Amino acid sequence: MSVEPFNRLVKLSARAFYDDITKGDNQPKTGRSDNRGIAVVVLDALTRRQWVREEDLAKDLKLHSKQLRRTLRFFEEEKLVTRDHRKETAKGAKIYSAAAAATFDGQKFGKEGEEKIKLHTHSYCCLDYAQIYDVVRYRIHRMKKKLKDELEDKNSIQEYICPNCGRRYNALDALRLISMEDESFHCENCNGELVAESDKLAAQEAGDGDDNARRRRREKLKDMLQRMEVQLKPLMEQLNRVKDLSIPEFGTLQAWEAHASAAGRAAGDSSSNDPSKSSQGYGGTPMPFLGDTKVEVALPGAEGNQVDVKSETASAQKVLPPWMIKQGMNLTSEQRGEVQQESKMVGGSGTGKLSDDKKSTVEDDKKNIQDEYVKAYYEALLKKQQELDTGEKQQESSNSPTSNGLPKMSSNRQVGMKVKRDEDEGDDDVDWEEAPVTGNTNENYKVDLNVEVPEASEENEDDDIDWEEG
Amino acid sequence: MFFHIVLERNMQLHPRHFGRNLREHLVSKLMKDVEGTCSGRHGFVVAITGVDSIGKGLIRDGTGFVTFPVKYQCVVFRPFKGEILEAVVTMVNKMGFFAEAGPVQIFVSNHLIPDDMEFQSGDMPNYTTSDGSVKIQKDSEVRLKIIGTRVDATEIFCIGTIKDDFLGVINDPTAV
Repeated sequence: MSVEPFNRLVKLSARAFYDDITKGDNQPKTGRSDNRGIAVVVLDALTRRQWVREEDLAKDLKLHSKQLRRTLRFFEEEKLVTRDHRKETAKGAKIYSAAAAATFDGQKFGKEGEEKIKLHTHSYCCLDYAQIYDVVRYRIHRMKKKLKDELEDKNSIQEYICPNCGRRYNALDALRLISMEDESFHCENCNGELVAESDKLAAQEAGDGDDNARRRRREKLKDMLQRMEVQLKPLMEQLNRVKDLSIPEFGTLQAWEAHASAAGRAAGDSSSNDPSKSSQGYGGTPMPFLGDTKVEVALPGAEGNQVDVKSETASAQKVLPPWMIKQGMNLTSEQRGEVQQESKMVGGSGTGKLSDDKKSTVEDDKKNIQDEYVKAYYEALLKKQQELDTGEKQQESSNSPTSNGLPKMSSNRQVGMKVKRDEDEGDDDVDWEEAPVTGNTNENYKVDLNVEVPEASEENEDDDIDWEEG
Repeated sequence: MFFHIVLERNMQLHPRHFGRNLREHLVSKLMKDVEGTCSGRHGFVVAITGVDSIGKGLIRDGTGFVTFPVKYQCVVFRPFKGEILEAVVTMVNKMGFFAEAGPVQIFVSNHLIPDDMEFQSGDMPNYTTSDGSVKIQKDSEVRLKIIGTRVDATEIFCIGTIKDDFLGVINDPTAV
């Protein structure tokens, strides 16, 4: 998940398509507003940054901010760049003066008014790689399609032009234009004989020999198409290379800032909310917050074996990893608990593959135990919450079956009632967890599970009762 | 493309037709008036297949004509862009050729004729391949694709192409 191939894509397409862009054609071209080639420089600079404040970028590039803004606006229209505008106080200033809101048009260089504390709108910009990929592909597609259509004359409506008065007609007017005397088209205005207009793309060599002109035009188009293929080849290759890569995503400015500052804190730099700092500090480092996402990916991987089993047996049930389950999440954790039990039951009914899988996880025993412990713990918590309402009567009813079914457990419990809760709970849980792991052989496993699961639930209930009494 | 649709029209009937055969008169007048006309919206009305209902007549002040709202079923033909049609060539010139598919006129300009066909002038102007195996002249039947339509209130005109796979002459009148 590197940015590098995408940066290369941006650089290539900048040179291919935006090299000779002069933005602001309506303005007179003085030396300063002539920004030929600036587009490439700006795009290159953006590939080395993420979200960046436009002022900072202008300073770095030694450009006038207006000039830069114009270029950026152009790129925004071209969908290469996302921009964000935000009102911020000048450095160290407190929020003040509604009148300042009037000046929020455009970003200013910060030194403008020191005595007047104003809200400045700062603009930020960032490359939008996902969109760039699409934009470039679409652009190339359109170019090719246009040339090919011209080449094959597909779906094109022939146009005719009167050499005398310059009036234009197209093939849809043919019925009106045909004259009775001779077999050609005549202008409605001046009755001059119309000539077919040669192509728009190719040069307008007035065709004396119509066929000749057509042939020449075709050759020209073919040549153009070939040259395009050759010249855009590196770009196409880069597009293909990038095709299967995951696209770097910086998110919105806020999201990015949150990530960046979090990463910054991790790196020992405590720039919390200062966007200028963060944008400068991490502008150069690629994807500083990637570490976090990796951790997120890694955690489900730790208990991935279990998840696999579940996804095989209970199809497509989303299983929340234990660290995500908090007290608030009643429904999901409940679901998860059910699924877990069910899948274990299924395993008990005997698929060899499943138990094999289990076997292979022996190295991960410790993790499994921990995970299971956490799960069971939260399960217990949940059940406790659910049964808070049901009174003492339920205790008795739940007491009797356990004591009948599993005398050992019940005795434990009774002892536990007198002793401290926490220890009791801990012991129970550990015992319960270790049982399936140790009895990991194929035959034992099923039996263990079948016994253990109901035990667990009953035990949880017992625990709950303990809690209540305590 | 052909459609079978229900249309409505207000018919004015002269008082001399009032009598036993009023209905027949009305229907025959409807056929005379409507069949073969073209509306930009529905296309060419090819045939009336039935009269659904004839409403109450309204006598017009001063004239004695009576207006009947008539609902009738009819077959209409409307050409669409992209549609493939078979047409008969009516005229060939150096700009291309005109063809008719039933009521609709189609123009195929010379750059939408395959490049290997060249215009031959003469008393029977035609487009011929260099080896002479395929010839488009008056009364040839061609299969063409409509690539553009001009729809006015009362007429429809199309331009077509035969520069595509499976398009072109489907029978040669000289060969028969």
